Amino acid sequence: MSTTAAEKKTSRRRRTFSGRDKLTLGLFIGLPTFLHVALVWFPALATIYLSFTYWTGIHIEDIQWSGLANYQNIFFETPRFWEAVKVNVVWLLWFGAIATPLGILLAYQIDREIRGHKFYQSAYYLPVVLSMAVIGIIWNFLLRPDGFVNGLLGLPISEAVSFFGDDRYNLWVILIMASWRHIGYIMLLYLAGLKAIDATLREAAAIDGATEWETFRKVIFPAMQPVNIIVIVITIIESIRAFDMVYIIYGGRGGLPILGVLVFENIAGEGASMKGAAYAVILFLLSIVPIIAYLQQQFREDVR
Amino acid sequence: MLNKVTNHEVDRRLLLKGAAAGGLGIAGATMLAGCAGGGTGPISFGARTVDESPTIQLKGLVDAYVAKTGNEVTYNATESNAFQNNLSQYLQGTPDDCFQWMAGYRMQFFASQDLLVDISDVWDEIGDQYNESYKIASTGLDGKQYFVPQSWYPWGLHFRKSMMAEIGMNPEDIYNWDDFMAALEELKGQGLIGLASADKGGWEAMGTFDILNARINGYQFHVDLLGGREKWTDDRVKDVFAHWEKLLPYMNTNVLDLEWDGAMQLLLQRQAGFFFNGSWFGGNFLEQSQEDYDDLMIVPFPEINPDHGRDTVDAPIDGFCVAKNGSNNDGGKDLIKFAGDMEGVQAMLDTGIPMTSANNGQDRSSYDAFQTQQLAVMNEAKYITQFLDRDTRPDFAGPIVGPAFQGWFKDPTSVDSMLESLQSQWDALPAL
Repeated sequence: MSTTAAEKKTSRRRRTFSGRDKLTLGLFIGLPTFLHVALVWFPALATIYLSFTYWTGIHIEDIQWSGLANYQNIFFETPRFWEAVKVNVVWLLWFGAIATPLGILLAYQIDREIRGHKFYQSAYYLPVVLSMAVIGIIWNFLLRPDGFVNGLLGLPISEAVSFFGDDRYNLWVILIMASWRHIGYIMLLYLAGLKAIDATLREAAAIDGATEWETFRKVIFPAMQPVNIIVIVITIIESIRAFDMVYIIYGGRGGLPILGVLVFENIAGEGASMKGAAYAVILFLLSIVPIIAYLQQQFREDVR
Repeated sequence: MLNKVTNHEVDRRLLLKGAAAGGLGIAGATMLAGCAGGGTGPISFGARTVDESPTIQLKGLVDAYVAKTGNEVTYNATESNAFQNNLSQYLQGTPDDCFQWMAGYRMQFFASQDLLVDISDVWDEIGDQYNESYKIASTGLDGKQYFVPQSWYPWGLHFRKSMMAEIGMNPEDIYNWDDFMAALEELKGQGLIGLASADKGGWEAMGTFDILNARINGYQFHVDLLGGREKWTDDRVKDVFAHWEKLLPYMNTNVLDLEWDGAMQLLLQRQAGFFFNGSWFGGNFLEQSQEDYDDLMIVPFPEINPDHGRDTVDAPIDGFCVAKNGSNNDGGKDLIKFAGDMEGVQAMLDTGIPMTSANNGQDRSSYDAFQTQQLAVMNEAKYITQFLDRDTRPDFAGPIVGPAFQGWFKDPTSVDSMLESLQSQWDALPAL
């Protein structure tokens, strides 16, 4: 009985798809799937394969299997790789401990409609509409040896503060530049989430005599869970894939080592080798693994 | 490398390829015959500069070609770093028919990847206007020519005559290392930077390494080192850095924050006594004023080891290639033939932008004082090298040597570990 019923159901369901439906569905599912596979999965898998080869990137028939040689080279022979990892980790810590919390704080303050909040909102949002590359160009104008700041300090080129060349400043200068945009971005995301929170939650907390901090920590923050996940994922991705600003400032050859630039250095131009592909795979794993781990844990908690 | 050239093994596939190429050749010949008399169709020209002076110069060349042949030429310009970074992809995609490039290893690499057009027949026509050394620099590993030279320039110590006169220093008298150190000390005493330096781009300092290595250890060692036949961990290389370290106190402190043109500004603005660089920037001085250009002069880098004197100079050759994937190879060839011929060279000279052409037809008596001195610097040298990133593997020079030298500037005491790392990174490179 039950089987026939099920059969009936499926057959009925099947019948409801007209040829036109199938075509539409096929197009709506097939086309994006095709594009996704062709533009995301194929290059990604090809990069992973190529990271195990020697190749100059020109003739397909010149590809030579190299096993783990590229990875060995990176891990054991290239001190610059570890310098880059260090910079990316500092970047992540900075974003995680300073830039992102600052963005959240600003969002909270603006949501509380402190005096002049409209002005702050626009001021902090402004950099978000600019790409990192444009931000790099703007700050480069300000901070280079013949730039605005050194001009203001009255320093000739020879005595100019070496904002981008000196290890004492360069990483922090770059982080401040990147935060300038990141803070506004996080603020915007968080503000959107805060606006969606039911005002009665706050009222209830206030009636129960909760302080501002308690309200945020115990009521608002947990209610913001979906936004929190997005903010954390974005913070991780933005810090690990950082590239464009550093590339604009240093021109993609040398300068401050970060993983994104190492990928570019080794895969673009005449010096192309599949060491660049190996860097790309490392970068991919570094950004995907913590995110998957984090999301898995979050979803498990949700199920519970 | 030699094996590749002399190995005439014939197998079936090669024969088939040859037959196919032959067929194409015949088709090409008929097409050529069809074209003869008329124009060659639209040609596109790719310049690897967006700077003012070279653009005027190249446009002068293109305009003269158009005026002469009536062929249509599109001029596409790309900023030079971006052009270099994209070259592989550019040549495999839809490149311009002919483009500006450099001689030596950097041309040979792309020629051996079959991305450049063999232009031996162009050399048959214009070859007698060039010295043999230029033909060698234009030749690929297979013995065919792929490159037409445009200009050369030596790397040397540049200075401003008026500044030196004020200080009472005669750079012509700086013959050896001790003279040079004394001069730098004197400049420092005057509150000036002795030697303007830059390395933000990761390549500028390679010129200083080249010359110190050649002066201290000689041409042969330098070439062998870059070819991987000598070791970076050799004490002789350490000696190079020991000398270099002695120059650091006389340099501007923000070497890593300046690109070559930033260091040039130091000379232009009279903040520095000397600037070690390729003479190509004469055009930038001329953009400022004729007076600044006339004030510019060059002397060879001083002798360090009397065994080698001043017998080597970095003198890169720039020029043109034809891209195989271009849509109009014949047009590209025709244009670079014109560029290599004295007629094209004259068109570039007529723009008034200073150029030392590789062509023998350029009247050396028409050289200005600065150019005459550049020639003297060249003539004093017995051996000519291109430049570190043109004389060694590109996957070593760009991503490895560049950052290593930058790291050394940050911490000169790290020389031993830096050199060990350079050697182990060289050893880890795949065989070519």
